[in-house]
Amino acid sequence: MSDKHLYLSLIPQALIASMLEPKDFGSYYAVGTQVHVQGESIFFEVDPEFRSPDFPFHLADERCMPKANGQPKNSVYLGIYHVLSRIPISALGNLYLVTNDGKTLTLTRGEYQPRVEPKLHLYQEFCPINPMVASRLEPRDFATSITDSTHPVHVPRIVFSELRLGDLAHDPKNGSVDDIPYSNITHLRDILQELQVREDKASKLVLKQVKEGVLYRMVEGGFYVGDQDDFAFYPYPSLADLEDQYRSWWRSAQLSALD
Amino acid sequence: MNEFVFWITPIAAVTAMVYAWIFYQEMSRQDQGSDIMQEIGAHVRRGAMAYLGQQYKVMFVVFAILTAVFWALAYQFDVQSTWLPYTFVCGGFFSALAGYFGMRTATQASTRTAAAARESLPNALRIAFRSGAVMGLVVVGLGLGNIAFWFILANMVIPGEAGDTQRMVLITTTILTFGMGASLQAMFARVGGGIFTKAADVGADLVGKVESGIPEDDPRNPAVIADNVGDNVGDVAGMGADLFESYCGAVLAASALGAAAYITQPALQMKAVVAPMAIAGIGVLLSIVGVYLVKTKEGADQKDLLESLARGINASAAMIVVAAALVLWLLGMPNLWGIWGAMVAGLVTGLIVGRSTEYYTSPSYSPTRQIANQAEGGAATTIIAGIGVGMLSTAIPVLAVGTGTLLAFLFASGFDVSQMNLGLYGIAIAAVGMLSTLGITLASDAYGPIADNAGGNAEMSGLGPEVRARTDALDALGNTTAATGKGFAIGSAALTALALIASYVEMIRIALIKSGVEMLELGHQLSVPTIEASLIDFMSYYQVTLLNPIVLVAILIGAMIAFTFSGLTVQAVGRAAVLMVEEVRRQFREDPGILKGTSQPDYERCVAISTVGAQREMILPALIAVAAPVIMGLVLGVAGVIGLLIGGLSSGFVLAVFLANSGGAWDNAKKYIEAGHHGGKNSRAHRAAVIGDTVGDPFKDTSGPSLNILIKLMSIVAIIMAGVTVTYSLI
Repeated sequence: MSDKHLYLSLIPQALIASMLEPKDFGSYYAVGTQVHVQGESIFFEVDPEFRSPDFPFHLADERCMPKANGQPKNSVYLGIYHVLSRIPISALGNLYLVTNDGKTLTLTRGEYQPRVEPKLHLYQEFCPINPMVASRLEPRDFATSITDSTHPVHVPRIVFSELRLGDLAHDPKNGSVDDIPYSNITHLRDILQELQVREDKASKLVLKQVKEGVLYRMVEGGFYVGDQDDFAFYPYPSLADLEDQYRSWWRSAQLSALD
Repeated sequence: MNEFVFWITPIAAVTAMVYAWIFYQEMSRQDQGSDIMQEIGAHVRRGAMAYLGQQYKVMFVVFAILTAVFWALAYQFDVQSTWLPYTFVCGGFFSALAGYFGMRTATQASTRTAAAARESLPNALRIAFRSGAVMGLVVVGLGLGNIAFWFILANMVIPGEAGDTQRMVLITTTILTFGMGASLQAMFARVGGGIFTKAADVGADLVGKVESGIPEDDPRNPAVIADNVGDNVGDVAGMGADLFESYCGAVLAASALGAAAYITQPALQMKAVVAPMAIAGIGVLLSIVGVYLVKTKEGADQKDLLESLARGINASAAMIVVAAALVLWLLGMPNLWGIWGAMVAGLVTGLIVGRSTEYYTSPSYSPTRQIANQAEGGAATTIIAGIGVGMLSTAIPVLAVGTGTLLAFLFASGFDVSQMNLGLYGIAIAAVGMLSTLGITLASDAYGPIADNAGGNAEMSGLGPEVRARTDALDALGNTTAATGKGFAIGSAALTALALIASYVEMIRIALIKSGVEMLELGHQLSVPTIEASLIDFMSYYQVTLLNPIVLVAILIGAMIAFTFSGLTVQAVGRAAVLMVEEVRRQFREDPGILKGTSQPDYERCVAISTVGAQREMILPALIAVAAPVIMGLVLGVAGVIGLLIGGLSSGFVLAVFLANSGGAWDNAKKYIEAGHHGGKNSRAHRAAVIGDTVGDPFKDTSGPSLNILIKLMSIVAIIMAGVTVTYSLI
């Protein structure tokens, strides 16, 4: 299966075998072949040697073959339900962020160093659920907490990013909101203030679903995938690097949330 | 020519053309940048020329038909000046020629501006501004050159003896017909151009940004070149033709009113005729000086850039104020300081209207920031806030033009309101004063699309962030100058239209005399010779009074036409945009490689579709503008025409300010939010502001500017058809 790739899509959740290289796959996945399919997406490249009885890998061997005209096979779906929870973090490679018009940014794993400050965080979850959550926990602790099966609200594994809070991270009551785009800032302020004073509550739901898609402009630090046993960090480029080195993707990414 | 001061006019015209050539050559010698920059520039240039080619084809047909009609009216029915067929063609030709030169220069300059921005901001500003000055100087140069040429020719050809004051009225009203061709060409450039530019813009955005997620100025968007072409079509060719018409109209109307005002004083009549031409000539020469004062330093911020532009314009204005007094003194004008005061009143009115526009549309001031604030409530509150700001923004320009008009009237009449002719001459001189800085103010207008296209070129060519920062700074400056330029164009159109309406009565006088009406019967067994009748006498003869229901009805119809015309142009943008949307969708559908960036879109087809759509959509509004004064004249006569023009001017002026300023305020409210306020990009407020901006696009770039043309074109058509009105009117 060396000429084939395995991709774990998070938006929407799926395990896909493909003959396309990651960036070509991203373009195909967002844009399609004939008719433009609007589709912002995030996917991991999965170790091509990964095997699990949970998925019909034989289909990849049978169907992921060049087409009659010699073109590579774009996609063979191996699963669309409970996929993330059935692929260990150790099998995950690079993370790819794809914009609506098919431009792809590659994030590689980095070393995670927990930060002492700020005390308050805001997270956008992508898979398996997609709410916005405020928390006192730093990313690794947050992943551990949300995947703890002893808690009534938990998931087996989670992928999320941290979002910038600006002044609200230090002063939720009076801090300036500046260019923070989240809807209902008053609600967010209330939740952050509540987290500051309530010792018994570490995290609280802000939005049940982020309808605007991935808020790339607000990503701080990077993207995370974690469970009870493992944790991986994918650092996000600085604004200067996005403006300079990844300009084309960055311009496209800023449009993504405009519908 | 006895008045040697007159020769300032042709000298200024030639000087303007020489400096336009120098600036053009200077721009041509600059580095054109990399291959890809040149390729993108070539696409825009080809698109612009394709647009002009299509427009000129349609114009050729329309001008040929109308020339034949005017020829028949003049030579077969004897109800028209025999000069009209020739002045009409010349007016249209030279206005189109100015647009061609301006577009050609602007489309060449944007690539070179982007290339210069790789090294230095001051150099990029110099290239962009002086290239804009080519348009400004070509407009005033060709305008003044034609005025001088036709005046000299008419003076030589039209028979009469020295001291025959009626002859000078005939000469000035004859060359006033030059405005008809310029006005009709402006209709094509402004209305057609306005529809084109917004159809391309909205079409590009709808499919590009919204449907396909492609950012602005992305070369994968088939409509991106049409969008860039549209910037030039609207703000270079359209604005140039609009102001060419205002400029020629104001100077010619002032000369005609000068001839009428001093009809009993042969010694002074020629001075009054020459004065507006000489003031305009001095304005051209000092505008060139002002162009050289526009410079900046590396790392300049918006304030510095604005100051550098203001330095050039304000210095020109200040020098014109002083020089105009000298010119009037050299002419030996009676009531020198009164005439000078009228000119200064016009100049100051222009500055106030410009400043007012800046206040209501700049994100530095509270009106635009209030709209941004309201955007947090969603699209509906954004629209409500923008409409409110647009309505409020009409107060200062209307009061400024009103005050300027009254002051000009009073100054020129020596504060004697019974001196109606002198007062109206002062109003026309005020229009000339406002437009005296046109050489440099139009340069700053035409600079806008050059900087905008340079930014687009830098973006599409993938130039570095430091280059884009420079082109962004130049572009932001261009947005401000575009908004103030629109205000200036509207204000000058209003004053010019006032002057033209005043001139209308002189055309009626000529038509009556031609039709054999030697005496005006004023009732109560009172009659005056037509040749000596005052404006008051004409108003009395035609019962132009607010108690006359014909006048009242005509005023209402005039007001209605301004709204109907705006409605049609707004809807035209929507229909033309749909054609563009369908074409972009088709290209994406039929060639998936376009979105992947592996194959190039068909840019030319998008330009062609938008061009044809714009030309088709402008037919009905143009017909209304041309037909309304003719039909009104035939049905309700002279009183009806005057009512129509007054109604059209009063509602058209206010509506144009409202449309231009609300659109500008919505646009800048969006930019203010994008700069990081109220949640910045992608926020709820931003989405609402984007909707506001989209609504405002046809307001500020199509309907608002098109109203300038409507109010002037209706006036000039009324003037041209005065003979037909007098001869064939039912009333």
